[in-house]
Amino acid sequence: MTSSNYLILSSIIFSIGFLGIFINRKNIISILMSIELMLLATNINFIGFSSTLNDLFGQIFALFVLVVAAAEAAIGLAILTIFFKKSGSISIDTINKLKG
Amino acid sequence: MTEILFYIFSAITILSSFFVVFSFNPVHSVLFLIFSFFNVAVIFLLSDAEFLAMTLIIVYVGAVAVLFLFVVMMLNINEVVVKEGFLRYFPLGLILISIFLTELIIIFKDINFFGAASSGINIEELINQGHENTKALGLFLYTDFFIIFQISGYLLLVAMIGAIVLAHDDKTNLKGQNVYRQKRIKKEDIIKLK
Repeated sequence: MTSSNYLILSSIIFSIGFLGIFINRKNIISILMSIELMLLATNINFIGFSSTLNDLFGQIFALFVLVVAAAEAAIGLAILTIFFKKSGSISIDTINKLKG
Repeated sequence: MTEILFYIFSAITILSSFFVVFSFNPVHSVLFLIFSFFNVAVIFLLSDAEFLAMTLIIVYVGAVAVLFLFVVMMLNINEVVVKEGFLRYFPLGLILISIFLTELIIIFKDINFFGAASSGINIEELINQGHENTKALGLFLYTDFFIIFQISGYLLLVAMIGAIVLAHDDKTNLKGQNVYRQKRIKKEDIIKLK
């Protein structure tokens, strides 16, 4: 595989995640999932370059991206659950007042 | 052979990530997300990143996706509300994304990174010295990148404390230990002789 294969695959997945943020205006969980997809696309880029340039640094960095993605998902879902407890909906339009 | 497998699994990944975005039931979205993570793990395996492939399955499928699934099942979302506003934002989003994607594909179509600057950690040399992928990762993670590794550990700690503090609820009637009350209690309060 050449590096353009990896780049095109990751840009397609990144765009799908981007589109998901655009169209799912009523559901924050879908937006969080789209963010996960975008982080996955960056990971594909790192691994692809690590494979094509024969360099291990990409894999090490992808590990840190994984850590950040896990932390982000945990915090985002915790905020989401308490917001749902307070307001009873997870629509984007009602989250203009996040202060409890 | 590797190339054909790469194309097959990337096609499945793209298809399943489409379904992540476009399925109206959030549970289906999470399941398709898990499926696309599995396929990306296979792509990582094809690119000789075995440790990252297994970590992806353990961290994402084992932890993050299950967390998503729990939250989706905990929150009671009805599909009718979710569908609202789909058509309103879809055309604008599609136009913007297709412009973005065509630009990226035009740039990346025949890009060549041969002879690009590298960090000097050559995989082939490491394999020739007898280090496997996991061993080589550990060799650099715990020496050259030790401070970043520690900082990422602190990040996870802060995320854990933050999630617990956010989700913790004092008001609910949970059974727990009240140390102050436990220490203050006297014999006469509990045992009564009549």
